[in-house]
Amino acid sequence: MAKKSRRAGRRVKDKWKSKSWYRIVAPDIFDEAVVGETVASDPESLLGRVSEISLQDLTGDFSRTHIKVKLKINGVRGGECKTRFVGHNMTSDYIRRLTRRRQSKLEAVFTVRTKEGYKVRLKPLSITNKRVSSSVKRSLRKKQHQVISDMAENSRLGELAQKILFGELPKKLANECKSIYPLKQVEIKKSEVLSVPKDEEIEMKVITEEELEEEKEEEEEEKEEREEKEEEEEEAKVPSKPEVIEQFKDIKGVGPTTAEKLYEGGYHTIQQLTDASKEELTEVEGIGKAVSETIYKALHD
Amino acid sequence: MGKWGIAHVYASYNNVVITITDITGAETLARCSGGMVVRQDKDQASPYAAMGAAQKAVNDVKEKGITKLHVKVRAPGGNKSKSPGPGSQAAIRAFARSGVKIGTIEDVTPVPHDSTRPKGGRRGRRV
Repeated sequence: MAKKSRRAGRRVKDKWKSKSWYRIVAPDIFDEAVVGETVASDPESLLGRVSEISLQDLTGDFSRTHIKVKLKINGVRGGECKTRFVGHNMTSDYIRRLTRRRQSKLEAVFTVRTKEGYKVRLKPLSITNKRVSSSVKRSLRKKQHQVISDMAENSRLGELAQKILFGELPKKLANECKSIYPLKQVEIKKSEVLSVPKDEEIEMKVITEEELEEEKEEEEEEKEEREEKEEEEEEAKVPSKPEVIEQFKDIKGVGPTTAEKLYEGGYHTIQQLTDASKEELTEVEGIGKAVSETIYKALHD
Repeated sequence: MGKWGIAHVYASYNNVVITITDITGAETLARCSGGMVVRQDKDQASPYAAMGAAQKAVNDVKEKGITKLHVKVRAPGGNKSKSPGPGSQAAIRAFARSGVKIGTIEDVTPVPHDSTRPKGGRRGRRV
């Protein structure tokens, strides 16, 4: 029995050693702040993990401790996990603190589409100044739905998330509803991103450290090649027309007109002409078989 | 620089289960329960058991490089008890005393907006 358990213990330790840490990075709407670290034996298994983090930790703003942002890992690059915003939530103690006696709590659930076509579910929660009748509640909800879907349609997901999290949307809701009934407090209690539009979908992919390095090397190689090419090009800068024609005239059987034709056809040096075959030479406009043959012979004998 | 972890404390009136995970909750780093610490079944939910379990879990996790914890406390919830059992307080205390830094402490009891009928019948449990 003891042996067995010891073996099991050892196996667990070994598994742990094979795991490594990955840094989770928030999307650009949060300035790509580091969310924290997660551990995995295989980077593939990181994809789809959701981490919840308070907005205070992301932005350093103490007044937003009660908001929790959900970020889903949708790509791994080396030791870094990229995430996307999938919703938010508020701590239950904050919500409970808001509700009081002799006031009405108004809850609603709206499903809206953003400008790019993300389907998002928003759950606003408002507290009225006094207790209100259900007909007032109904008209408040109607108004809120209008305001929220308007705002969603005119903003991209990132913008919408910012408006929700940093208080612009709740403020607007309170203002718009003021004429129906004064609201003491409005919060977006919860949001969920339900579906991603097709053209916004990114393939969830793992790029390992080695691949990253390869990529880098490739890029560098490309860069070097490009530089070399540029240098070469600079060296082999197209010689001016009269010079070339002068050179070509030295070839037996080539006069000024033929030389000009060759120049127009893309041949700028004698070397290029020597490299070309008879057939290639005939492709130049205005040069027939006979002429090409003489040129070829003159250069190769 | 230590890393953050999440301590999930499930405190019912019958037991305390402590699971420490990474911040995504997908990787379990340590797990312990009141029943693993005490001998008698009736002591499983006691503050003493919770303390022992919390210490055990934290020791495991410290080896793995975690020095800071967010705590998520929950009761059974649903149509059962919505208030955490006696072990939750003790567990949090034990975390703090064992030298890890504590971030947020949150109640994550699942609370239904409606619910099925709690067991026990119309006249309640008759003992």
